[in-house]
Amino acid sequence: MELLQGTLDMLVLRTLLAGPQHGYGVAKSIRSNSSEALDIEFGSLYPALKRLEAKGWIASGWKTSEHNRRAKYYRLTAAGRKHLVREHSKWADFVSTVARIMGPLPQVQK
Amino acid sequence: MTVRSRIKYLWPAWRRRQEREMREELESLTAIAGSRELGNLTLAMEEVRAGWGWPWLESIFADMRYSMRTLGRQPAFVTVAVLSLALAIGANSAIFSFADALLLRPLPVKNPGALYDVTSTTPDNPFEGMSFPDYRDLREKSRAFSGLAAYRLTTLAVAANPAAPARMCFANLVSDNYFPVVGVTPAGGRAFPADEKTAAAQPVAMVSYDFWQENYGGDGRAIGSGLRLNGVVFTIIGVAPASFTGLDRFIRPSVFVPLRMAQRLEGEAADPLEDRGSHNLVVKGRLHAGATLKSARAELAIIGAALEREYVKTNRGRHMTARTELRRRIQQSPQLLAAVRMLMGLVALILIMACSNVANLLLVRARARSREIAIRLSIGAGRRRVVRQLMTESLMLAMAGCGAGLFAAYGGIRLLETMSVPSDPPFVLGVQLDWRVAQFSLLAALASCLFFGLVPAWQTARTDFVSALKAGGEAASGRGRTFGRDILVAGQIALAMVVLIAAGMFLAGFRNMLVMPPEFRIDHLISMDTAPAVLHYSPEQTMAFYRQLVDRVRTMPGVAGVSITESLPLSPAQTVITVAPEAYQFPKGRETAIAFGAAVDAGYFKTLNVGITRGRAFTDDDRAGSRRVAIVNQQFAKTYWPNQEPIGKRIRLDSAAGPLAEVVGVAKTGHYLAVNEAPATFVYVPYEQNPRSRMTLIVQSVGDAGGLASPLRGAVRAIDANVPVFNLRPVATLYESRVTDTWLQFFQMVGTMGFIGLALATTGLYGLVAYTVSRRVKEFGIRVAIGASRRDVIWFVERRGLILAGVGIALGGALTAVAVPMLSAGFPGLGASSPVVYALVPLALLTVSAIASYVPARRAAGLDPLRALRNE
Repeated sequence: MELLQGTLDMLVLRTLLAGPQHGYGVAKSIRSNSSEALDIEFGSLYPALKRLEAKGWIASGWKTSEHNRRAKYYRLTAAGRKHLVREHSKWADFVSTVARIMGPLPQVQK
Repeated sequence: MTVRSRIKYLWPAWRRRQEREMREELESLTAIAGSRELGNLTLAMEEVRAGWGWPWLESIFADMRYSMRTLGRQPAFVTVAVLSLALAIGANSAIFSFADALLLRPLPVKNPGALYDVTSTTPDNPFEGMSFPDYRDLREKSRAFSGLAAYRLTTLAVAANPAAPARMCFANLVSDNYFPVVGVTPAGGRAFPADEKTAAAQPVAMVSYDFWQENYGGDGRAIGSGLRLNGVVFTIIGVAPASFTGLDRFIRPSVFVPLRMAQRLEGEAADPLEDRGSHNLVVKGRLHAGATLKSARAELAIIGAALEREYVKTNRGRHMTARTELRRRIQQSPQLLAAVRMLMGLVALILIMACSNVANLLLVRARARSREIAIRLSIGAGRRRVVRQLMTESLMLAMAGCGAGLFAAYGGIRLLETMSVPSDPPFVLGVQLDWRVAQFSLLAALASCLFFGLVPAWQTARTDFVSALKAGGEAASGRGRTFGRDILVAGQIALAMVVLIAAGMFLAGFRNMLVMPPEFRIDHLISMDTAPAVLHYSPEQTMAFYRQLVDRVRTMPGVAGVSITESLPLSPAQTVITVAPEAYQFPKGRETAIAFGAAVDAGYFKTLNVGITRGRAFTDDDRAGSRRVAIVNQQFAKTYWPNQEPIGKRIRLDSAAGPLAEVVGVAKTGHYLAVNEAPATFVYVPYEQNPRSRMTLIVQSVGDAGGLASPLRGAVRAIDANVPVFNLRPVATLYESRVTDTWLQFFQMVGTMGFIGLALATTGLYGLVAYTVSRRVKEFGIRVAIGASRRDVIWFVERRGLILAGVGIALGGALTAVAVPMLSAGFPGLGASSPVVYALVPLALLTVSAIASYVPARRAAGLDPLRALRNE
């Protein structure tokens, strides 16, 4: 399934709401939480992480993982949390509006 | 994201750190997940790096690097282009600094735009000014101004310490609020106390920064020490900042003294500050935040009218108004505006010529580069992008020209600095290479970049790349291809012609000055100014001093004649007097006029050899108590008593109710302030009947006039060693510097422009002809192969150059016909160019064009036809 334009940032923030993760972990989480429907390439996820970090919505720091491996962990900042809330409500509005228009699929003559 | 937070992206160390972090992070993740799982990391890193960038800035840097490379490959092109621009921008900047010093430079104060000149005039007298009582009333009543300051320029005998001899210096007598209103904070010490009583009780003064440096070596202990001004001891309380050189152009006051001290300094019986009739103050006002110039004018008109009603005697017809500083300067010296306009106009022509030159070169390059551009276009560069690249190159040329131009300007400014008005204390023209000049140069460079860069850039980007690639860099060169460039070159020649003819007019003006007999004797004369009044001489004492001085000098060896006058003709300071000629009907609302005037003694006309055309000169019998007499010049007689006998007519002096003086003689009209002035009215009055506090001694020598300098100084010292002596110099020196030097300098300026113009036009022509030859190598080869002689080829090329020159000269002739009347109107005294000049300039242009096209013509004729044909 292709991602809608501009939703990747929101997905990343939402994923990090659950707790800090390293870059590959974020990719894995999105994949598993979407039941493998969204196959996010790490190659496109990583620049998004850096972009969000530059905007100050997430912050990073080195930590040792459960398997005793060092990795850079990203966590949500206060500004990021606020932004997520904003984006979430926008997203919800958008979805409900589109849903209202679309409704259940009518019978279409084939 | 804010620009500020992005600034750090430009920092290389920041980038290096980010890069390191990123690599480490990705390595650690690879260790966790394996590289297959992570995908194309190089691309990811590249994308992250792009996020750090300033894409547009970086692409500009890339453009500049690329431009450097392409320009670096063509040093000859770059040299010619940069040199052309440097000469033109340099000339423009030098002339701008001149114009800035003459007219444009804002006052050296904080926020000069908000400081307006407030003044009052009457229809009778265009010289404006404000009296102290008027100023005091205005300051009380005005609501539009947040502050009104007044000052008066004067000269004082200044001794930095009681032991030093007094020197004449410019000084400003200023109101107590002068420094705060003007917006100047002292560099050391403090400004004048606002409390006028203390100011009056204690003589205090401020000194200029330069005076402080010169006399005290910048020592802070100078503040609080004593300073003798006209013999009165003052305490220095502050030093003005170095940037503040007073509010008058050309004059840098050394000392600032409260106006309240005027009476004591000048030793007058009555307080000049209480005289509502003496309108000698300059008033500057700072507008309140809400007020506009218009509202201030309305308020001034009301206040002025109220004062007129209350003080009819002194304020009749007196109109108060405010204006900007620039307007004031233009109104005071309209001839400067004319000179500035003319010079800036001529020098702008030079810039246009230089730009055409560079545009021409760029067009040539555009043809040569069509293949490169075609490749860039065909692999997907947008035309906009190509234009930007080409404009970047033009911009870099312009900037190089600007930089080199500033050096050229510096040379020009050094030359202009030598212009001077002989005066003691000195006038300062103040031409300088400053930030304003640099800004102007930059602006000129940017404007010329647009002018010379845009059209070639568009034309280049318009390249039809298919044909350009097919033709292998040698796109078809039809006849029509150089038409635009032909016009540019012809235009250059036309402009060069205008500038050269203008130079010819200045040369003619200069020659006129040289051959024109001065209206008075200048040889074997030396003049000397003295100011006994600064020692608080009474009028009687002053008169006795001059009588004694004349008697003493007359008996000195080597002296053929001696006389005294209030002012020497053509000296920069001339006196203006108010007159009411009898039986002359003034227009309604006016009852007096002004004229130049001087109090002179009986020997003046003989010593200075000023011709008396009717009646008689003054004699020793025209003394105090005898019938008041006057001598007018021919222009005065012609103006006020046309076709009437002037002898026996009477004039009221000083005001419509002043004393009557009978005209006993008519003197020849001369030049009084400048040689190129319109004939001016002049009234001579006998010194004994009209004593003045400051007179100039004129001594006619038997031998060299300069040899009398020290005996004259000695004569003054023998009478009173404390009387300051200044402006001691041969009259010929004054005359030369006032008359011939000025013209010579103007001629040099315009002449230099003419030569720069000629050089630019020649290069332009040469470049075009040489280019045409190089494009038509094949054609010449064929011509020679089928039997054209060497001479045929040379003539073929020459003809083209001469046709261009001919068209240019015809165009130039038309332009000259328009420009010459404009020039003469703006610059009185400009000689009409002689027919020789009109013949010589086109001839010179033709010759130079012929030579410029001969060089490439020879090359064309020398071609080996076989090689030329193989060349393709």
